[in-house]
Amino acid sequence: MSALARALRPFALLALGLAGWELLSRSGLTSPLLVPSLGRIGWELGRLATRLDSLAEVWQSLHRALVGFALAAVVGIAIGILMGRSRVAAAVFDPLLAGTYPVPKIALFPIFVFVFGIGSLSKIALVFLECLYPIVVTTYAGSRAVNRVLVWSALNMGASPARVLWRIVVPATAPYIFAGFRIALPVAMIVVIITEMLSSADGLGYLAMYSLASLKTDRMLAVAVAIALLGLGLDRVLVLVRDRVVFWERLDSYYA
Amino acid sequence: MGSWRSSKTVPLLLLAGAVVLWEIATLGPRADFVLPPTEIARDVVGAVASGELLPHVTASLTRALPGFALGSFAGIVLGLVAGVVTGFAETVSPVVFLTYPVPKVVFLPLFMLWFGIGDVSKILVIALACFYPCFINAYYGARATPRLLVWSALNMGAGRLTVFRKVVLPCALPLVFAGLRVSLALSFILLFSTEMINARSGLGFLIRQAESNLRFDLMYVSIVAVAALGYASDRLLLLARRRALAWQEAGSA
Repeated sequence: MSALARALRPFALLALGLAGWELLSRSGLTSPLLVPSLGRIGWELGRLATRLDSLAEVWQSLHRALVGFALAAVVGIAIGILMGRSRVAAAVFDPLLAGTYPVPKIALFPIFVFVFGIGSLSKIALVFLECLYPIVVTTYAGSRAVNRVLVWSALNMGASPARVLWRIVVPATAPYIFAGFRIALPVAMIVVIITEMLSSADGLGYLAMYSLASLKTDRMLAVAVAIALLGLGLDRVLVLVRDRVVFWERLDSYYA
Repeated sequence: MGSWRSSKTVPLLLLAGAVVLWEIATLGPRADFVLPPTEIARDVVGAVASGELLPHVTASLTRALPGFALGSFAGIVLGLVAGVVTGFAETVSPVVFLTYPVPKVVFLPLFMLWFGIGDVSKILVIALACFYPCFINAYYGARATPRLLVWSALNMGAGRLTVFRKVVLPCALPLVFAGLRVSLALSFILLFSTEMINARSGLGFLIRQAESNLRFDLMYVSIVAVAALGYASDRLLLLARRRALAWQEAGSA
């Protein structure tokens, strides 16, 4: 196989799918309402990316996802490291986490709406809750796996517990924390889009449902593509940050 | 101190304490949407006894299970094949990994347009979401098969299919189950979201209906039912894993 064919191979399936879509939409077999042409979707995507009011929707979704995620990161890392370094904390939190992990937190959304209102706050709260679990679980695993000899050595050389935490435990746990981040960030996007579809007057999830209700399939698909690109972009940014911050170690993650 | 980690009494006591505190807190003046635990328990028993809950549970399960089965089966099969056949992996896995961080709910409006707002669009979205974790885990599981084992089997005259069945599959199984567990949790999240977005039956619909009718008792009943369903299915999967992986020692819960 030639080098060119090898380089193009990863994109073959994607190109095939797009070509099939365009062919179907041009064949006249389906209504443009069901399968709009790629040109239409692209045009709507361009509109979405250039108009100020639609960019405001993008920002609304992004802002909710990121605030919830950031809160979950701070609290999750704290709980995870506490669990990893203290047996009492582990005994308290471990069964709690194991018991509530498989429970779909989305069911709590109606209660959150009553408590926090139908604005951004209830959505951010749900994002926080859903992101918390993967971050705590991976941080816990990481901080438990810290090499004991390193901790002993540092203590032996007179380091204070705070110093041990900051110079040994946190750096040793960092790769795990990032593994948790990579699970949690797509979750944040999912939850934001779902909650915006459920009850909202702004954000990309709302825009998708609104476009569907007004039978603007091309716009709806453009929103879907925008959400997909956003999810992908956030993940790429996270990987970039990870490779800079945790440059000394690459945890063998599935989603490398 | 060794008993700290294993003992179940501490968390149970904490849980009981929280419930008691909640009950005491609701004795005084309270918001309408906060119900005391004893009343929630009574409502749950009532809803189960009156048969109000059961049709919705059945409706939800007839959406979640086919979606989960379809998506995870396709994911496991394709993932295993990709783990073994390099050419297939080079074609398929880039697309899978590229689209992995994309929230799959965005396909719900499209599927609704194509297949109607009935069960088919919900099942397909659930299947799509379940596909990814299963594919990725099965792929890595199959790829992580120790080469030495494959060589030994081939050397001893095993055919390619036998190697796949007797060596690759058992090696991939622990990760396959890890993927299944993630998919199962995802299938419930998507089930309830799609039902909350539009449905005429199911627990997600029940929650929404109760919410808009201010029937807080029914809302809590459906939340309890959702939690119980999610928890029970996870336990069931862990049980199945324990049976399937009885030969494996490494015990991570």
